[in-house]
This record gives sequence, structure tokens and C-alpha cells, in this order.
Amino acid sequence: MIRTIASIFITLALIFGLSFFEINYVQETFRDFRATVETLRHKAEAGTATYQDGITVQRYWRKKRDVLHVWVPHNSLQEVDYQLDETVGFLYTGDYAAALPKIEVVIGLAENIPQLYTFHLGNIF
Amino acid sequence: MGLIFIRTIVIFITLLVIMRLMGKRQIGEMQPYELVITLIIADLACIPMADTSIPLLYGVIAILTVYFLHQLVCVVGLKFSTAKTILSGSPSVVLNKNGVNDTELKKNNLNVSDLIESLRTEGYFSLDAVDYALYEAEGTFSALPKKNYDSLQTSLPVILIDEGKFDKRNLERTGRTKEYFLRILKEHGADDEKNVLVMTVDGNGKIYLQKRKGKYTVFHLNWEKKLW
Repeated sequence: MIRTIASIFITLALIFGLSFFEINYVQETFRDFRATVETLRHKAEAGTATYQDGITVQRYWRKKRDVLHVWVPHNSLQEVDYQLDETVGFLYTGDYAAALPKIEVVIGLAENIPQLYTFHLGNIF
Repeated sequence: MGLIFIRTIVIFITLLVIMRLMGKRQIGEMQPYELVITLIIADLACIPMADTSIPLLYGVIAILTVYFLHQLVCVVGLKFSTAKTILSGSPSVVLNKNGVNDTELKKNNLNVSDLIESLRTEGYFSLDAVDYALYEAEGTFSALPKKNYDSLQTSLPVILIDEGKFDKRNLERTGRTKEYFLRILKEHGADDEKNVLVMTVDGNGKIYLQKRKGKYTVFHLNWEKKLW
């Protein structure tokens, strides 16, 4: 009986511990990533963003992405990959008009993906 | 992770309620919550394993949640008997010294034929050979036979009237007419077959008769020869 009760508390602690870590980690990572992409947006709006800036953001993202795979469904991360690759491509050709909407999509994804992990009714059902 | 935890609990409770509502027949030698766990756990393990787009941790957390719920149900069941009854159900006495308990049978979505069939699998062929029959919470039958039950089962009984209806095939097997048995019913206080819950007859002419909401009686018909 004591072992059973202990196992209940250990399991609960493990699940809640992992849950809170997941929520914090995912939100923090995407918040930092969003800030990086917003800097790129400002530069793109000013017409000063370079291909190298795009590559820097992409490298930053890929480093974070490898750990995010543990917590976030891979399809969501692939979507960010896809949009970011296109952004870098447009920055390479200097097409800021095409790059900006893509950057907006990436910012949107960085905002929305962590929301999928918060506790509210819509996410539960 | 937290969402998976809550979602698994929601699915677990939903399945458990449905299993309890479906009754013992759907269970088959498991407690309802054990069956629910069996149903859930296979998919929980398989989906993240097969679908590489889902983090493996999602499956691990869901399985841990099921384990947590299992342990919780075990502890609650041990500590609180009422909770155990709610979660797992309780045994039903479907046959007692007065005969078949029709109300309990209906509660468990069973009829007299099901009871007779289940008793046969336990080795009791005659309804009067058993003092008590219980339909356990996990969907199995248990029976307490009479001391001399072997001597009461000398020939295979067949159902002649099952919940107010004659079984035509078994009636033909006896070689007697419906009127013949209706006359016997009248002699024993039943106006017609509709007032009879169960009536069986064996090859020696031994009749087990139980009227609806009444105690059973056993009597012998004077047949010239053994029929089967």
C-alpha cells in the first residue's frame, strides 16, 4: 500500500515536473526566437537586412530546434523551418517585399506554437 | 505534457463510464478499469512509436498517466468500498434458493438462456442443482451447488418456456403438444405461458418451473420412457 501511494506521488511529481519544464522551456525558447526574428523584421523594413542576417537567425533556430523536437510535434517545427528557409532565400535576392510576409509568418508561428501548450479548455478538447 | 496528462485522464474516465454503463457482459474476466487500461495502453504505445512526427515523450507521459490512474484506482478501491463498487461494480445474485432472479438478470443485460448457458459452462446443467449463482463484477459466473447436485442432473434439461415464450424446437423434441404443457401449467397455477419466467424439462420428465415473481417448483411427469 505504501509503495502504491509512493508510486502515485512519484508519477505525479514526474508528470507535473516535466509539464512545467516543458511549458517554460517552449515558451522561453520561442520568446527568444521571436525577438531574434523581430530584429530581422526591423532590418528588413529598413532595407538593411542581409543574407548573412538571415543565416544567423536560421542557425540560431536550428540549434534551438534540435532540443525542441523533444517537446514539440515535429510538423510544427518543420513549418517554421520551411518559412525561415524561404525568408533566407528572399533575403539572398534582396527581395524585401517578399521576405517581410514570410518573416511575419515566422513571428506568428513563434507566437502561436507555445500557445498550444498552455492549459486552457481549447487545448484540452 | 500537462495537456496530455489531462487528456489521458478525460479519455480514461470516459471509457470507464462507458464500460460501466455497457455492463459486465462486455468485460470478460477483467475489472472495468483494467479493460480500459488494456484498450488505451496499446494505442498509447503504438502511435508515438509509429508516427515519427510525435515526440516519443508524449507516449511516455500518457503511459505514465495511465499507470498513475491505475495505482490511484487500486488505492481508492482498497480504502473506500463504495468507490470500488462505483468503479468496478459488484457481484449480482442472479439465482438464489427461490430460483432465478429476473430483476438482477435484466440489470446485467442477461436473459434466462444466458444464465443457463453460463451455468452449463460451470458444469451445472440443471437450474435446481444450484443454490446460488453469482454474476461477478468482472463478468464471470460463480455457482454454489446443492450438496447432492450430481443426483439432480441425471438428464440434460432443455428450455421449454423462456420468459413467456415456448421454444418450438425443444417442444418438438419432447414429442408433446403445446396444449399438453399448458394443461400442466394450469395444474400448477399458471394461466398460460406468459406467466412463466422459465420452464425446463429433462429427458426423464423432470420439470423446473418458475413463474414470474415466484418461487420455482420441481416436479416429475409420468412419462413412459426416457426421452433423451
